[in-house]
Amino acid sequence: MNVIAIPKPSNGLGSVSSGNALELRGVTKLFGALAAISDITMPVRSGERRAVLGSNGAGKTTLFNCVTGDFFPTSGTIRLFGEDVSRFPAYERIRRGLRRTYQISLLFGGLTVADNVYLACRGVSRGRFSLFRTRATDPVRLRVEELIAAVNLTEATDTLVSELSYGQQRQLEIALALAGAPRLILFDEPAAGLSPTERRELINILTSLPGHIGYVIIEHDMDVALRVAESVTMMHNGRVFREGAPEEIEDDPEVQALYLGHGEE
Amino acid sequence: MAVIENPDHASGSDAPTRSWYENIAPGWWVLAVIMLFMPAVANDFILFQVFGWTFILGMIALSLMFLAGYGGMVSLIQMSVAAMAGYMVAIFGFSGISDLSLGMPWWVYLPLAILIATIFGTLVGALAVRTEGIYTIMITLAIASAFFYFTRQNYGIFNGYTGFNLVVPPQLFGVDWRAPMPFYYLTLGCATLAYLAVVYVSRAPFGLVLQGIRDNPRRMAALGYNVVAHRIAAYTFASIIAAVGGILLVWQNAQVAPGTAGIPAVIDILVIAVIGGIGRPIGAFIGAIIYVVLSTFAPDFLFSVGLSAERFNLLIGLGFLAIVFFSPDGVLGLWDRWQERRAKRGDPLTGRSDDGGNPL
Amino acid sequence: MARFASRHPVWTFIIVLAAAVFLWLIFAPWSAEMEETLGRKRIFLNAIFGGVTLGALYFLVASGFTLIFGLMRNVNLAHGSLYLLGGYLGFEISEFTGSWLIAFPAVFIIVALVGIVLQHQVFRRMDGEDLRQTMVTIGLSVVLADLMLWYWGGQSYTIFAPDWLSGPMTLPIISSIRDSGEIVYLRYPAVRMAILLAAIVIGIGMWLLLNRTRLGMFVRAGVDDREMLAASGVRIQYIFLAVFAFGAGLAGIAGIVGGTFQSLSPGEDTRFLLASLVVVIVWGRGSIPGAAIGALVIGLSEQLGLVYAPTYSVVFTFLIMALVLAFRPQGLLGSAR
Repeated sequence: MNVIAIPKPSNGLGSVSSGNALELRGVTKLFGALAAISDITMPVRSGERRAVLGSNGAGKTTLFNCVTGDFFPTSGTIRLFGEDVSRFPAYERIRRGLRRTYQISLLFGGLTVADNVYLACRGVSRGRFSLFRTRATDPVRLRVEELIAAVNLTEATDTLVSELSYGQQRQLEIALALAGAPRLILFDEPAAGLSPTERRELINILTSLPGHIGYVIIEHDMDVALRVAESVTMMHNGRVFREGAPEEIEDDPEVQALYLGHGEE
Repeated sequence: MAVIENPDHASGSDAPTRSWYENIAPGWWVLAVIMLFMPAVANDFILFQVFGWTFILGMIALSLMFLAGYGGMVSLIQMSVAAMAGYMVAIFGFSGISDLSLGMPWWVYLPLAILIATIFGTLVGALAVRTEGIYTIMITLAIASAFFYFTRQNYGIFNGYTGFNLVVPPQLFGVDWRAPMPFYYLTLGCATLAYLAVVYVSRAPFGLVLQGIRDNPRRMAALGYNVVAHRIAAYTFASIIAAVGGILLVWQNAQVAPGTAGIPAVIDILVIAVIGGIGRPIGAFIGAIIYVVLSTFAPDFLFSVGLSAERFNLLIGLGFLAIVFFSPDGVLGLWDRWQERRAKRGDPLTGRSDDGGNPL
Repeated sequence: MARFASRHPVWTFIIVLAAAVFLWLIFAPWSAEMEETLGRKRIFLNAIFGGVTLGALYFLVASGFTLIFGLMRNVNLAHGSLYLLGGYLGFEISEFTGSWLIAFPAVFIIVALVGIVLQHQVFRRMDGEDLRQTMVTIGLSVVLADLMLWYWGGQSYTIFAPDWLSGPMTLPIISSIRDSGEIVYLRYPAVRMAILLAAIVIGIGMWLLLNRTRLGMFVRAGVDDREMLAASGVRIQYIFLAVFAFGAGLAGIAGIVGGTFQSLSPGEDTRFLLASLVVVIVWGRGSIPGAAIGALVIGLSEQLGLVYAPTYSVVFTFLIMALVLAFRPQGLLGSAR
């Protein structure tokens, strides 16, 4: 399986540096009196592949929402490639190389696959406000074709998203996340609802991403998570419960006690 | 609707690509011919009062349609932006109120009026876009009311209740542009340009991003778009169109007064856009012609059922309610559904059903 | 409120200071120098009281509007028309029966019934389609305005207050001190003070209803999160009916009030709708205290503006609104992201 061709960011930060891609320090998010996440400290190195596990309500998606900028943390700082982005709006974070997929596909149902990918590519390139229609020779259009091929959706290029199968929609979600020059991708339960074949396809795509792209993946499916991650963070009740390599987490007795029966088919 | 037309993919790489004029449905060519030669068959009243007014109202409704249909923002400020442009033409140009009009040349006051009105529209947009969608109507209506009350109270700039009269187009190239035939072509030209601009931009990044924001603003933000900036830019674009419409409106009436942007007028623009069909640009003009025809011929109809001609608003209000109840996507929606039913019935010879044509 | 004070000490200080200055201006006699710069105290007092009583009137209309919008997310742009309708009906009823007081319950019931019909037959079928509901209210306002214009014409109507309320009453507020040392107290129309009192009573009553009864609890919950309320099994449609009817009835009797100390004519519907809009935009939806404060601010700014800066009085109200929108789009009482 060839490595998916994803350009490195042109400012030379594409190499796997010693700095952290993502650094959360003491991040807390309160909704009224409810603490969805408390005091999360989590460094993620450039190019690292990490899984975040935990039962429902552990705060995993809230964590993602804080990182992408859907809302600001109540306290704590979020650093993206060394920059404090805690109060940045979402689009500023995206333009610094952050990407995200959603647990429930957030796609544009009335547009075709090509249009969805086009919007994703346009979002991180120049010409967002352009009043002139995109020409056939525009490099953005070529990228669109490459990305669609990278997730094996070429036959469905001109299909409306509302007519795609569930698995195809999940593939499209990933294509959107690969647009532009991503440096860190947040995958929110990408394997949810996929058949075993589709799950293998997903694992292939994830493992064949170039080395400079790190990702954090939320998953319930331990099987997928442990195969695509090199480190694991376990969350419980909004806090970090355990951290370590996949094998350590798998064998940890406390983890097993908390999640009895979890993860085995 | 595809962003990226791929004629090569569709018909194979050795099929010749069609030039843009071959892609336009024949109905449009017929319409263009009719419009161009209308002065040969229509009288002055029809040209000036019916068509002129239709094109003008259609343009202002088009600016609302752009924001509401493509941007998901129902803005009631368009008529005020139009009136602002009209006022600026009267104030910076010539009118019957010589103390207040500054008498600048047309190549100064025309761009200036459009600029000021566009800035006004953009500022209102900046205030309205950061709130939830349902607030947009409220905020723009409130500001439109403020504009009305202010122009009525203020005598130093806007000449209060009376407004400005004798505001006429400049005599360019020796033509009296307010004469019926030249005015007809002027408004036809402006309306056509505005319409084509909106249709073209709707498939350019500017328009596509706006529609994406309409459908899923959270996703667009997560794709790297500054949602607030795009929405404000949409107001700017729409304001330019409304401003030009406003200038033409003032020239047609030869006057501008607070009532030009009074609440009934503001609401009428929304009514026009909704009756025609708020999802597509042509809806604005369909709504406008319905409104203008009703307005012109309603007195006779009302008289025949024993009502006074003043009950026009009642007719419009009832018609609007009917549309909102039975066909919220307006007359265009009715047309679409009728087309679908016809297509489904199939070809009487072969029994095959057609797919229905592409909407514009 | 204590929480607000602890979180925003600077703003609290400014507000308390402003309130203190205000009260001092009202209750303390003015010196000659003050009268030279600020004009006569009597004019100031008249503007203040005018503003407060106008605010009371705005409150009656805006509180119904904000509840309807807060709970049902329905921007009822026909709310001003209900006000005007109530006023006209009140005029007819008080002329017919010779009693001013009877008009109130009668109009409340009639307009509330109109509200029930609207909510049950029209808005209920469009539940969830906020924009479509708003469009319907726009259409209704156009139709109602024209029907009212048809029946009652374009002239102004005034409803006469009953004899026992007409004429001025003396308030314990110093208007001026004559050279002889005699204190002149402010005399102000009794009917306006009565309206003010009634509005305060109604406002407190509404607040109690919202905060101390089960029905009020459901309404407040629905304003916060409508889906949750629907999911809790409560017969949500009955609550909607009750709120819409109450809001409509309130607007109707506000019409009687407005007809008494101002007048009724076409165009008044727009004016009161506008006030309600500004109140909701600036002070948030579904909040009775917010509606009260907002209405008071609008009433005061309008009256003070009319007296001291006539060509720009409109601007003040909208300046406030624009500033709030620019810096706190969620409203002054709303919660930040």
